Amino acid sequence: MNVIKEIKSDRIGDRYYEVDHPSGLKIFVYPKENNNSTYAVFGTRYGSIDTCFQSTEDREPNKVPAGIAHYLEHKLFESEDGDAFARYAKTGASANAYTSFDKTCYLFSCTENVYESLEILLDFVQSPYFTEQTVKKEQGIIGQEIRMYDDDPQWRVMFNLLRAMYHTHPVKIDIAGTVESIAEITPELLYKCYHTFYNLNNMVLCVAGNADVNKVLALCDKMLKPSKPLAIDRIFEDEPDEIVQSRIEQKLPVSTTIFELGFKEKAGKRRASAEEIAQTEILLELMASDSSPLFRRLLDAELINQSTFAYEYFEGPGYASVIFSGESKDPDAVAEEIKKEAEKLRTQGLDPDAFERSKKAVYGRLVSSFNSVDNLANTMASLAFTGHELFHYVDSVSQADIGSVQARLNAQLLADSSALSVIKPMD
Amino acid sequence: MLGIEQRSVCEGVNFRSVKDTRFKTVRMSVNFLLPIQKQTAASNAILPFLLSRASREYPDFTKLGQRLAKLYGAELNADVQKLGDAQLLSLSAAGIADRYALHGEHIAAELSKLLCSIIFDPPFEDGLFPKEGFEQERRQTIELIDSEFNDKRIYARQRCEEIMCGDEPYGIKRYGSREDIQNLKREELTEAWRFLINNAKTEIMVLGDCDPAPVYEGFCEAFQKLNKKAAVDCPTKIRKQADQVKNVTDKMDIAQSKLVMGFRTQTAIPDERVEATTLMTALYGGTPNSKLFLNVREKLSLCYYCSSLYNAMKGIMLVQSGVETKNIEKAREEILTQLDKIKKGEFDDGEIDAAKLSMSNSYHTLSDSLGGLEAWYLSQTFSNQIKRPEEAAAIINSVTRQEIIDAANRVTLDTVYRLEGNGEEQI
Repeated sequence: MNVIKEIKSDRIGDRYYEVDHPSGLKIFVYPKENNNSTYAVFGTRYGSIDTCFQSTEDREPNKVPAGIAHYLEHKLFESEDGDAFARYAKTGASANAYTSFDKTCYLFSCTENVYESLEILLDFVQSPYFTEQTVKKEQGIIGQEIRMYDDDPQWRVMFNLLRAMYHTHPVKIDIAGTVESIAEITPELLYKCYHTFYNLNNMVLCVAGNADVNKVLALCDKMLKPSKPLAIDRIFEDEPDEIVQSRIEQKLPVSTTIFELGFKEKAGKRRASAEEIAQTEILLELMASDSSPLFRRLLDAELINQSTFAYEYFEGPGYASVIFSGESKDPDAVAEEIKKEAEKLRTQGLDPDAFERSKKAVYGRLVSSFNSVDNLANTMASLAFTGHELFHYVDSVSQADIGSVQARLNAQLLADSSALSVIKPMD
Repeated sequence: MLGIEQRSVCEGVNFRSVKDTRFKTVRMSVNFLLPIQKQTAASNAILPFLLSRASREYPDFTKLGQRLAKLYGAELNADVQKLGDAQLLSLSAAGIADRYALHGEHIAAELSKLLCSIIFDPPFEDGLFPKEGFEQERRQTIELIDSEFNDKRIYARQRCEEIMCGDEPYGIKRYGSREDIQNLKREELTEAWRFLINNAKTEIMVLGDCDPAPVYEGFCEAFQKLNKKAAVDCPTKIRKQADQVKNVTDKMDIAQSKLVMGFRTQTAIPDERVEATTLMTALYGGTPNSKLFLNVREKLSLCYYCSSLYNAMKGIMLVQSGVETKNIEKAREEILTQLDKIKKGEFDDGEIDAAKLSMSNSYHTLSDSLGGLEAWYLSQTFSNQIKRPEEAAAIINSVTRQEIIDAANRVTLDTVYRLEGNGEEQI
């Protein structure tokens, strides 16, 4: 018998359900009864950074080639009796998968045959089938995916920045690996990673949309193969607090210079709390949104444009940084202005009006994001792996106070820990 | 499922609304359509950007931004697209529904007022758009044009369309040329604006959780003050068949080459055979079960992506792929072989069903997002009869096998565009 926990938010006017399934899987169902579509994510806490690990089953640590989590994602779609896409073709679901730094997620979206599609998802993710031949075939396809990213200036500027900020942390390595590293991947290595990380105790299922919690659970009862509890130690070399280099530049066939400016923060095993993330979001809105004085100065100086200037809090296991990005004819001047603004806000304090306004803006955009079942399912999966709760995050935004945001600034956006990555047009 | 309400504001101005309280947001947009022409493309393209940055009440860009932030991060956006041979110039506003405002603000009413004021009452100085704003937007539009070069997938597609439709209005870029933007004079824009609001075919859309009646009243009042005449006609030139294949190759220093093939389909809105062509395109290369995906990618392992795209307004179909230079010819041949197979009827009922289910799924999913609904109804502007996505899905579902074969047999190859890397071959 499954124990269903209901989680409600009066502020959002919604509720969802959380279940600890006896198989070891954590399940979330967020019903939206009047929606046409349903979106499901079956994810594992396993991403590109998990290249060295030791589980309770292992005698010694395993070191695996870069890009293997992503390779595994591609190969899982094939099983002994065919390809998962061919099965989805009979339900009409639109299926996909993605691998990020710290998770791999398999998903589908559908408007009919919800439970048939869910059955396919639960089945193929639990049925690995790798042979020499099928593994080799994928090298051509993934090789081209890597080539595509080699030409993508947005992707290059980000990984160059990560290499400038991180000495040892595998976050600096391309998610898909390299043509060389993926050549080392074998069926045995894929099975090793699969059996370690695709243990249901390390996974989550999130369903949002026109779905019934009891029907989802009945299907889970039927389909899930119980997993033995397994503890996984993810091994990272010590990462110094300092950056590697303060500037990195590459030339590519682009017509405009693009940049990313990162401020590295101390990050160990502990992840940022929901409150800290909310405070950072409000701080960045106040400091750099298009209604901020900084944005206006940069725009008037013709140093940035509205369509590309952006910022984000980039945070995960063992890494945390604030990143600003965009196009600019003079990225170094932009970086100087941003650093000056952070220092000014630190010494002069935050303006209470600007704080209230920024908080409202962050809150409003968060409310808007609850329209989308894709967003809900993916966010619930991310939060599950970091131990945060969706509605609690909304409250963390609406309850943030100016003092805590000011305090947050004291630990963030420090000029000494910043690195600038620039992609310039070829000569 | 809620229907769409349609009203007329005045000659040439339609007002369409879908009130749906399952959304936590509102979205409203004013979309102007004018024939795209070399002489006016640039002056029209800059207008939405100029208008969205200030109003008479908020003449300062930052003050307007702060007003929007206070409205819970509401947004005012400008956009320029092509719809067949028409230039689509849009201004939109989006924000949370009133029930989520923490202090009882009337967000939808405020947004509707703001949208009216930025469009109909710009903060003219001596009858002209302010100099500073004009210069900023001219620079930013040039940067938008330049940045389209950075994404090679988008760049290659645009180059193919440009070569294919070089002597048709559709061959003109959506923002006009870089030179034309650079040479814009502030003095000519007041007249361009006047022409836009008085003569363009106009589609107003109000979607989501708000009462459309007061928004409708507001726009009626605004348009009554104008000297609105019948809207300018926006015909789209449909070239039914390609005379001979245009082959163009560009060289660039990139890791992965791009192949884009442009086809004429003989069918465009409002032709009743559009649905058959839509389904044929899906079966050919629109899904992971399509002929292109299964053969060019999965069987031959030539690429990461190979897909087809049908532009029903212009009656053209594009096939795009990213491949190694040495494999371009192999991919081109296989792409044509797969089309021939459809022409000869070499596909089974399973493939038809899969394409139908997949289309039905994407059409039904459209209704779950306000952006999706808006794009859908705008794409229908020139149809004989406006259909809901669900109705279009039903029509696609009734397309027969023979109609798919006929649709494929109407297709002729017009252009083969190659963007080739000139670096070293790798693996």
